[in-house]
Amino acid sequence: MKKTIVVQRNDPNADDASNERKLAELKELAHAADYVVVGVLVQSRYPDRKYQIGRGKVDELAELVEALDAEKVIFNNQLSTTQIYNISETCKCEVMDRFQLILEIFAARATTRRAKLQVELAKLHYELPKARSIVSLLKKEERPGFMGLGGYEDSYEQDIKKRIVRIRAELLHSCKGSESLRSFRHERGFSLVALAGYTNAGKSTLFQSLVKEGTIVEDMLFTTLSPTTRSLTINKRRMLLTDTVGFIEDLPYWMVDAFRSTLDEIFLADIILLVVDMSDPVDVIRQKLAVSHDIFWKRTEGAVIVTALNKTDLLPEEDLQEKLDVISYLAPHPVMISAISDKGTDELKQLLYENLPKWEHSRISIPMSEEGMSTVSWLYDEGIVHTIEYGDSILMEIEARDEIIQKVKPFVISS
Amino acid sequence: MFPIIAVDISGRHRINKEYYMVCAAVAVDVSASHIESISQIAIKPFLTTSAPDITDVVSIIETTVAGINYPGTIVVEHGDLYNQPEWLSKRMFSREFKYQESLSERLAIEFAHHVSLSSRNLLMKELSID
Repeated sequence: MKKTIVVQRNDPNADDASNERKLAELKELAHAADYVVVGVLVQSRYPDRKYQIGRGKVDELAELVEALDAEKVIFNNQLSTTQIYNISETCKCEVMDRFQLILEIFAARATTRRAKLQVELAKLHYELPKARSIVSLLKKEERPGFMGLGGYEDSYEQDIKKRIVRIRAELLHSCKGSESLRSFRHERGFSLVALAGYTNAGKSTLFQSLVKEGTIVEDMLFTTLSPTTRSLTINKRRMLLTDTVGFIEDLPYWMVDAFRSTLDEIFLADIILLVVDMSDPVDVIRQKLAVSHDIFWKRTEGAVIVTALNKTDLLPEEDLQEKLDVISYLAPHPVMISAISDKGTDELKQLLYENLPKWEHSRISIPMSEEGMSTVSWLYDEGIVHTIEYGDSILMEIEARDEIIQKVKPFVISS
Repeated sequence: MFPIIAVDISGRHRINKEYYMVCAAVAVDVSASHIESISQIAIKPFLTTSAPDITDVVSIIETTVAGINYPGTIVVEHGDLYNQPEWLSKRMFSREFKYQESLSERLAIEFAHHVSLSSRNLLMKELSID
């Protein structure tokens, strides 16, 4: 594990609690990327053009790097190429910002082709505005021609642009594939439920507890990068539960864009299961819920939101109720759970069942024939058969979605 | 359910050297994700010769909300108060105030926006101003 020092520059009039929260998140991100945080440096000032933090503070940072034998410095603020170059020259070690760190985590965790393409796209978007200065800094010694300033820079930028276009086209193609898969799943009678929420809220633990299956669960940010889907049956209704990538504060727009196809799993679901970490301070929960609402706004297609208030085992009952009272205006259909100890999961399943798209009840009478028997078999596949009686004809009480009921309408006795 | 008063102002741009603004306040009861019921709507026109500053916006909102007979927290978009921090905006109002957060609050503001915009369009048509 590499030793690292985290640095944060706060705006002089910024909120203290929010600064602390951002720093804590950066530390967790560093942990998720396998770094050990050996030092923290914070400065309150307006950004410096050359170093982001003050010149004196950079010298202090260089001393700290040497004293603690740190191999990397991670800034919570976005750095320009020149700032990275200047700081690394002073500190004599590798320097990166929060976004490069997130990309590093994404790159390490990406397993599917789509996830890898998304990570590459995000990386290219990050590099594009810096392309010219990266090349001019790298090739300082060998510029083509007398006082030449072109050559390399232009071609590198063009290469990045071309690659972005190619990846976008490929991602669009793979998105179409998953959209048709979604409509196919709907047609097969599956309702779609997507887990959403902040990183480390316990989505994967809840996923595992609901489907009783082993996915990687760690106390780390971004353990789930590609969506995992498993089937789940509640009161005979089949649904597909999808575990998705977690939200994170201040995610730049180009990163959200790159991960859109992953987030689409959430937006196109019938039910969004929003997981909230109740062990966080109440202001943090409120802030995280507000960001989640911001992400859902105008993007979900009529999905019902169910809020799973997780990690309730870590708090006494009075604290939970107090927190719930404060956040209730941001928590649709709340249910207290503890995914790790299975507490409240039955109640959660019941709530999911109640909020599934409505299916219709119907009593039908099908003639006793070979064709009738195949209809019975088809109805068993597509819906729920509550009762069945074999006589001169087959009397059935069924529950199914509207399209199925329409197909057997000629046989309906009562609905 | 939570009683809120969502407010939106339309027309904060200059036409013929004047600012023809319409403010709409809608009193609604909301849950976390939906508008559950609508209690009252108040609409007021405002005409100024200079661009509205922050105190003008506060006064416009307060005047319009005074026409609502139901209790509720005033909910406004960040941009309407020039992205001023919430703690500062709260002190400028005589009633409970907050910026939009939940889906239902956003929905209520969208509703207020449609009311203010269509009322202003009607007003401009009546005044024969393009």
